[in-house]
Amino acid sequence: MATTGNKNINSKLVLLGDVGAGKSSLVLRFVKGQFIEFQESTIGAAFFSQTLAVNDATVKFEIWDTAGQERYHSLAPMYYRGAAAAIIVYDISNQASFERAKKWVQELQSQGNPNMVMALAGNKADLVDTRKVAAEANATGFVLQLTCLQEEAQQYAQENGLFFMETSAKTAANVNEIFHEIAKRLPRVQPQNPSGMVLMDRPAERVASASCCS
Amino acid sequence: MYGIQSKRDLALELQSQIPILRPSIHTRRAQIVVKFQDLYGFTVEGNVDDVNILNEVREKVRQQGRVWWALEASKGANWYLQPSIFEGQSLKASLKLSALANAITLKKLIRKGIPPVLRPKVWFSLSGAAKKKSTAPDSYYNDLSKAVEGKVTPATRQIDHDLPRTFPGHPWLDTPEGHAALRRVLVGYSFRDSDVGYCQGLNYVAALLLLVMKTEEDAFWMLAVLLENVLVNDCYTNNLSGCHVEQRVFKDLLPKKCPRIAAHLEELDFDVSLVATEWFLCLFSKSLPSETTLRVWDVLFYEGAKVLFHVALAIFKMKEEELLVTHHVGDVINILQKTSHHLFDPDELLTVAFDKIGSMTTGTISKQRKKQEPAVMAELDQRLRRLNSIKVDDK
Repeated sequence: MATTGNKNINSKLVLLGDVGAGKSSLVLRFVKGQFIEFQESTIGAAFFSQTLAVNDATVKFEIWDTAGQERYHSLAPMYYRGAAAAIIVYDISNQASFERAKKWVQELQSQGNPNMVMALAGNKADLVDTRKVAAEANATGFVLQLTCLQEEAQQYAQENGLFFMETSAKTAANVNEIFHEIAKRLPRVQPQNPSGMVLMDRPAERVASASCCS
Repeated sequence: MYGIQSKRDLALELQSQIPILRPSIHTRRAQIVVKFQDLYGFTVEGNVDDVNILNEVREKVRQQGRVWWALEASKGANWYLQPSIFEGQSLKASLKLSALANAITLKKLIRKGIPPVLRPKVWFSLSGAAKKKSTAPDSYYNDLSKAVEGKVTPATRQIDHDLPRTFPGHPWLDTPEGHAALRRVLVGYSFRDSDVGYCQGLNYVAALLLLVMKTEEDAFWMLAVLLENVLVNDCYTNNLSGCHVEQRVFKDLLPKKCPRIAAHLEELDFDVSLVATEWFLCLFSKSLPSETTLRVWDVLFYEGAKVLFHVALAIFKMKEEELLVTHHVGDVINILQKTSHHLFDPDELLTVAFDKIGSMTTGTISKQRKKQEPAVMAELDQRLRRLNSIKVDDK
């Protein structure tokens, strides 16, 4: 956690979510600007780092991209322990992955770091358009289902003190934005030099909203 | 080893892009990144030195082959397959000096590497896979494959999802034929042991077994003996409890075998399992170059799962000085990844693993595991209860 100067922030970030939701793809898009259709499956977790400049600070993310298969979840505490931020990823075309995302939110809320910045990412947003076309063609009502999901996710995020974005690792939509937003929301207090720093009001707001809805 | 899309060594890529004024010929040579296929068809990226090391390794493999042939000539064909050599019990029972001498010779020989052409035969026999197969009907694998064809389970769904994500870009594994073979092995096994079913990570292990063993059926039996006899129980089941146990044993061994590194990493608050978990679950197949991985497996199949600890400790040990001056978790991980990805010389790794790390017996490791099991179970149970209590609160 040690940093030089008070505007450099080192921050551990963990990605959690169902298998195939696109966690590794999001990270790869963010870190290397690439998209690969068939990403090697992640075993345990993969580590990446990336630095972002936001208005008032430089944030160096130490990113843990975790494995999605259910049985790997028992390893998750090792990766989210001490994390300042988390992105919980689901696939917008897969309702089960959204349910799984909610469980991750609950687990993170119960593990006792109230200052953790949490983001909910509805990934594969590029599928909305392609599915929309298909839905219009055969009037299956699929669009409706997706829209519902989006509103549901938005509402869920608000109630639980997360911020929500639909992302696409494929088209890069909102990928940098979600990391940027996290960087902006990270507490600016340095543990070793707490004096002379201004605490941002957002995390406090978030905590308040989380507690009123639990 | 690298699949094409595996975590690449960023540093190497960057190196090639950084303009350097008036580099010496050596620096310039070191900057050039070469892409080529290794012995097993994996695409490797390295600099000129790496290529030279690989060529030296090829030569050493040839020499080692000559040693095996010479022994075959003097001791008789298949001398190393005699059961008295590799079965602990009969070894103790056997007072035959020649058998004992053979056993000692063989252990040394295997640590120096099994020639790739002999690998299928030697692995199959020494691991116990041949014996396992012999206890089942001849048609077991074919019958199993036919019986499970077309069945859909959570395991088969996950396997189908992972097939194109297993060493993508490999000239055989990443073809319809390769996918189909890997699928049959993994699906077959998922029905043989429903407690394991399919666990991510096994795709890499089975893929490499296929490349070495050449036939699906032999790869299947190797996978079976590995999960049922060689590795600790429950490595891949349900909540990976066996894997948790191995990680705790490893965390106990590090301060004993590499005290300075352990102390420094503790100061950084670095949990070694962050990197070691993948090593143990994929048996290094995602981290080490292919021939180096297979050299580790040579010893694994003969000496047992304690070999994984030797190798994991060695990767830390080899970079002791570098690790001791790190200040960030990220630096530690980068050093370990870069090191493992570039271990093109298997002897370099195995010498440290066995000579520098010192001996550990299977017995002491087993005792360690017994000691850690209750703590692992308690920890897993605690997490489960925490999660269950959330659900109750909600409703």
